[in-house]
Amino acid sequence: MTATPEYPFGPMTVPEAVAHTARLVADRPMTKMTMPYGGDVWLVHRNSAARAVLADPRFIRRPFRTGERTVPFFVPFPDFLRTTLQFEDPPQHTKLRKLVQKAISPKRVAAMRASAVTFANQLIDAMTARGGPRNLVTDYAVSLPIEMLSTLLGVPSADREKFERWSASTLAVAGKSETEIAADLRDLSAYMTDLIARRRNQPQDDLLSALAHARDRDETLTDAEILPIAFILIVGGFDNTATFLSTGVLALLRNDEQRAQFLTDPDGLAPTTAEEILRHGSFAVGQPVAGGGGLVPFVATEDVEIEGQLIAAGDAVSLDPGSANHDPAAIDDPGRFDIARKDNPHLMLSYGLHHCLGAPLARMELQVGLAELFKRLPQIRLAGEPEYNRAVLTQPMTSLPVTW
Amino acid sequence: MNAEVLYIQPDGTERVIGAIPGDSVMITAVRNGIGGILGQCGGSLSCATCHVFVDDHDAAGFAPISEDEDDMLDVAATDREDNSRLSCQLIVTAGQHIRVTIPKTQL
Repeated sequence: MTATPEYPFGPMTVPEAVAHTARLVADRPMTKMTMPYGGDVWLVHRNSAARAVLADPRFIRRPFRTGERTVPFFVPFPDFLRTTLQFEDPPQHTKLRKLVQKAISPKRVAAMRASAVTFANQLIDAMTARGGPRNLVTDYAVSLPIEMLSTLLGVPSADREKFERWSASTLAVAGKSETEIAADLRDLSAYMTDLIARRRNQPQDDLLSALAHARDRDETLTDAEILPIAFILIVGGFDNTATFLSTGVLALLRNDEQRAQFLTDPDGLAPTTAEEILRHGSFAVGQPVAGGGGLVPFVATEDVEIEGQLIAAGDAVSLDPGSANHDPAAIDDPGRFDIARKDNPHLMLSYGLHHCLGAPLARMELQVGLAELFKRLPQIRLAGEPEYNRAVLTQPMTSLPVTW
Repeated sequence: MNAEVLYIQPDGTERVIGAIPGDSVMITAVRNGIGGILGQCGGSLSCATCHVFVDDHDAAGFAPISEDEDDMLDVAATDREDNSRLSCQLIVTAGQHIRVTIPKTQL
């Protein structure tokens, strides 16, 4: 085959997609693609080139926040997401990010692990009490991240039901109308504003208190700064973590050898299994894979050459995680689903200044969610085919029927 | 003069990597596939996933701990010790031979 490997590419079998990606990254570091909205964007395929872009301060986000540029994306980028931390640049980004990251730090998340284990087991108790088959997405994968985020933010137990109802409204799996979502977001916003005020008066050991009281030290944080931080965690944290967990369980259920290995030591293997699911889970479930599109883009402030490709000043550039996670130069035998993989420099949670804010929390939830489920229900198996909502961009799994 | 970093894993496994002066101990590890150093934020002091213990004899060769690094070391997954550093802040200089030990966990 001498033709230039095409990108984007339509659905193909997993081995074909892996082989195609290998040819693609050998051929070039990136491809310019025209998006349905916002024009052209460079999609960076090579793992090394993606890291170079993501660590380079000459790529910024401000033009998207100010509206000077439209975000090149598959859909019109939601306005309320353009005001959040991920569209700030230094020095404002540095100030906000530092404050939040201390509250979602590796140490802080490690301290939350025991409560995640307890809650996961309560969910499993409820499933076994009702009997199989159950929908693992709604009964387990969505509930765990919502509970953990409520704990992190400091939403009181008595308010969790309504908090979860409003927050879940933004979930792609909820399938609500735009009017309903707007009303729920207004209620959520009013509730959070009130909670921030309460935490300013009476601080507790939670994220909102930490942010509200940052204004009493050298940094100052207004409600208008805190609210979008809470929103980005809610929007970013629920859907994605639930999808990774559901996908991970499905990947293990469809790979008998890897599941058998996982069952020999779920706690010990959970960390590497979680990383491998982040990297390769969507391939390991065995369905056809397509390539095209990436994470939230940046804009080049000047001409920058990356691995021989000129990115001109004003060009948009984004990471193509599907390719970067299957680049043979970074990942040994990238088509193999290997839950014990040691060196796994995947970019599913991005890299650099704007890497996933909730990364430590997402990883912990994924590890605990997988380990507890398979420890308690080692005989767990599919009781039907998974269902997806193909009508929305992220195409989340809405149903994963399992029994045990 | 060539610089070298010796990375010691928690299980005692050692690997020596030739380092480019001006690069950090973190980026040298990431580029050469040294496990146990994640460096997810790329050196912007916002992830605390490149924590290392620096061999005492080598500690003096680096810039002192800044306030931001100090804050992030406090929230690393493995408890900090007197010789803890974030390896993204350890810039290798020509001729330096550095030994760092990687903690049990970064997450």
